[in-house]
Amino acid sequence: MGTTAALELVEERARKSIGSWERRSLGVVRAEDAAEFARAAGESAPQLVDPGHAGFAVHPMYVVSVLRGAPGADPAEFRPDGMYRDEVPGTDGLDVRLMAGGQNVRWTGEVRPGDRIELRRALTSVERKGSGEGFLLLTVEKSYTAARGTLVEVTERFIVR
Amino acid sequence: MTDHVRRVAAGRQVSVGQEVPPVELTPDAITLLRFGAVTRNAHRIHYDTAFARSEGLAVPVVMAQLHGCLFHRAAARFAGAGGLVREVGWQNRAPASVGDRLVVSGTVRSVDPAGGEITLDLIEHCGPGNAVCCRGHAVVVVG
Repeated sequence: MGTTAALELVEERARKSIGSWERRSLGVVRAEDAAEFARAAGESAPQLVDPGHAGFAVHPMYVVSVLRGAPGADPAEFRPDGMYRDEVPGTDGLDVRLMAGGQNVRWTGEVRPGDRIELRRALTSVERKGSGEGFLLLTVEKSYTAARGTLVEVTERFIVR
Repeated sequence: MTDHVRRVAAGRQVSVGQEVPPVELTPDAITLLRFGAVTRNAHRIHYDTAFARSEGLAVPVVMAQLHGCLFHRAAARFAGAGGLVREVGWQNRAPASVGDRLVVSGTVRSVDPAGGEITLDLIEHCGPGNAVCCRGHAVVVVG
């Protein structure tokens, strides 16, 4: 299948899935994992990188950056390019190029160690951009909730070429 | 005090156009491997040079979420101790290559004296050519 046909199929699939909400558990937030994330992101503030610090806080970007909860995915869940088959709507099984387009992250609460996080997400927009065959811009709305309510809302954009 | 200069916290004034102090990060291959591991991001454009080239990229590129972390850091440092980052957004403009120096800087776009919210315009430059790789914004409440 050529790139043009693949993009058309992605667009067709994606448009059909607009507004369909799915759920995914990210598991329970562990302070040690959040601290490891903060270190990997280049942070050095003790309250972010030391789980034993009296003022320890989960890095606000932690849960929105984690693509899967523990224990991770099975090999069959990956595309040949290493992305998860279901991460970018409509692209499963198709030889298309995937890039991040950006995000808008809004915090409505504080993620804490021990929170069990559930991700809800839905594709909300499919746009054809550029000249020629161009590319697709997919917009996904996401919310991250714990027992006490929604803590983070995200609008994420993917570029499919 | 003018409409553009507001005291938004004890002892601190914020004005429209005020500089957001820059923050920087130079993510090398080790950084990308570590960040990909902790976020369970196995996309090959971040660590597989041959694959990245097959996708039209010169070398592996920085993850979107790592850009987001740098935007957040700029916003959090501006907000200061006791401050709060309520929102961070960014749009990718050009890929940032592994080894590029990333610098996020910005200015104050607006100040809401009633709610105490400050909106920042942020921009990320990368690499030896100082190219714009992301544009973004943040909403903060200063401490």
